[in-house]
Amino acid sequence: MTDIKHHAYLFDATRCIDCRACMVACSVENNIDMDKTRIWVAGIGVKGEYPDLQRGTMVSHCMHCEHPDCMSACPVGAYTKAEDGPVTYNPDLCIGCRYCMNACPFGVPHFDYDKGIIEGAFIDKCTFCPQRIYNGQEPACVQTCPTDALEYGDRAELIKIAHERIATHPGRYIDHVYGEFENGGTSYLVLSHIPFSELGLPALPETPVNEVSEKVMEMTIPFALGWGVVLSGVAAGVNIYNKKKEKASAEEKVEETK
Amino acid sequence: MKLNFTIQPRLRLNFSPLVWVLLTLMGIAFIVAMMRYAFGIGAISDLSYSYPWGFWISFDLFTGVVISSGGFLMAGTVYILGIEEFKPLLRPSILTAFLGYIMVAVALLVDLGQPLRIWYMMIHWNHTSVLLEIGICVMSYLTVLAIEFAPVVFEGFKLNKWAHLIHKFIMPFVILGVVLSTLHQSSLGSLLLIQPTKLHPLWWTPILPIMFFISAIAVGLAMIIFESSLSSRYFQRGLEIHVLDKLARALPIVLIIYSLLKFGELAFAGDLRYLFTSGTLSVLFWAEILIGVFTPILWFSIKKNRTSPAALLTGAIITLLGMILNRFNVSWLAVRHPDPMFYLPTFMGNVNYFPTLPEVAVSIGIFSAGILAFGLLAKYFPVFESEHKTEETPQPAPGLQPVITAADD
Repeated sequence: MTDIKHHAYLFDATRCIDCRACMVACSVENNIDMDKTRIWVAGIGVKGEYPDLQRGTMVSHCMHCEHPDCMSACPVGAYTKAEDGPVTYNPDLCIGCRYCMNACPFGVPHFDYDKGIIEGAFIDKCTFCPQRIYNGQEPACVQTCPTDALEYGDRAELIKIAHERIATHPGRYIDHVYGEFENGGTSYLVLSHIPFSELGLPALPETPVNEVSEKVMEMTIPFALGWGVVLSGVAAGVNIYNKKKEKASAEEKVEETK
Repeated sequence: MKLNFTIQPRLRLNFSPLVWVLLTLMGIAFIVAMMRYAFGIGAISDLSYSYPWGFWISFDLFTGVVISSGGFLMAGTVYILGIEEFKPLLRPSILTAFLGYIMVAVALLVDLGQPLRIWYMMIHWNHTSVLLEIGICVMSYLTVLAIEFAPVVFEGFKLNKWAHLIHKFIMPFVILGVVLSTLHQSSLGSLLLIQPTKLHPLWWTPILPIMFFISAIAVGLAMIIFESSLSSRYFQRGLEIHVLDKLARALPIVLIIYSLLKFGELAFAGDLRYLFTSGTLSVLFWAEILIGVFTPILWFSIKKNRTSPAALLTGAIITLLGMILNRFNVSWLAVRHPDPMFYLPTFMGNVNYFPTLPEVAVSIGIFSAGILAFGLLAKYFPVFESEHKTEETPQPAPGLQPVITAADD
């Protein structure tokens, strides 16, 4: 699988049977507790009246956004976006401010609330299994999935596959690939038969949510310099004016005493 | 170098009941903080994956920073605009700001997951992060405030030459202080720009930084009135009514600009429909606007209210309450994190954040320490005197004696 230029996942909600094998696989592969899993299964459960039943399940982990908000928000730059897709977190830089958790519109980063100062409380999130994908394997969750609800491949190719699948089964899917454009594009693409909001996916614009704050940040330094110059100018002007006034009043006094 | 320690014996555990209360609150906060360091933030707080920021951020960071804005307002007015009239308010405002920012820093040491790495912000820079800007600004501004306050300490130790030296070169620091304050007061608003999908549209607007800066000016003015009124009571000194009158006159102007921008922006963005349709959030919005904006505009427009000490204090408290509610709304109450669905793992379950008692106790303890520090510094250092006075009186200020007995009652 060395031909993958941009690693990505495709999740097909119609195929998911809610077995949660992916959660187990993830915690085994990455050696983390089940109750701190980096992948979680959520959804609407079973909906409707018998025999017209419908179930919706969503496997959630990091969306590996193309313009990650966690990375934009992190003050110390603990997040990096690899050119080939994965968004990774570096605990060696993290100060534990949890701004990334606020910034992420999907609520992905998790924090060690049960760790004291000696163990150190860090952020945890999906790493895209670099130990596997860079060795020609699929991520643990994908490999375990018994129904191929989770697939792994090149982003452009997966988008093509997704659109083809919608075209072949027009009645089955909503005609939209979530993540193709949402939040500036994500590397976790979702196909669904029920509205995406019912899967817990937020409605997001095509511009990443960090757009406005990054623009404001760009203006900060020019503004600071300009404001500093203006204030210095005012201070100097007032100083000169006051000195003149003092001089004038002093001269007046001299004249009076004459 | 002759240090004057004549008032030292009075320190010997001759505390007033108020001091005991403050010390107790600080002790409780200390114990809770130690528990947090030992067992983690989850052990004492209600913070969760859904609500990573709670009471500490709303109260200690957002409120703590905004109520400290009097420092840069007064420094700018007295030094840059050269309006000497406000000089009596300068030192107490700078002290309030200095202590306020120290309290913010201490609170962050409890809130951060890796408090020992707080200095990482100085060397690892991510230029797109608003939080980095705030961190850098707050750290630098603390240094500036220390410099601005240093003359008071030097004068207290009778090192008038040093005080003079600092005073001579104060201007660049004042300008730097105003720039840094402008930046981080507004950046606290920018901090929420990254949550357009989480913060309610009544509050989320691209001009959040401007709104935050304007409201910081209003809070700064109200805070100076509030703090002058209180200290005139507890330290038995005169109230500069004619100066406070001017501040009170400026308040409605600032708040009218604020409300015009606020409603103008809502109309422009087409969000006016939320004013009455968002349930609790609409109520919170109107509470904040009515208490923090409309009432003070009316209150301080009446001349009688600007010249009576009690009315000044009442008006300032109303403004502060409304504006602090605004900070709580923006950073906590109006923020909706994605709802977890019914069979999420339990760790995601908590979307209804409510601060726990220990959490609040930490904030109260830090606040108590701030009040105590203000009291002690105001008691033993020439905070309430202009420089010229202390230069002329080499002995400890004569006003000090009744002050001590008053505070010890």
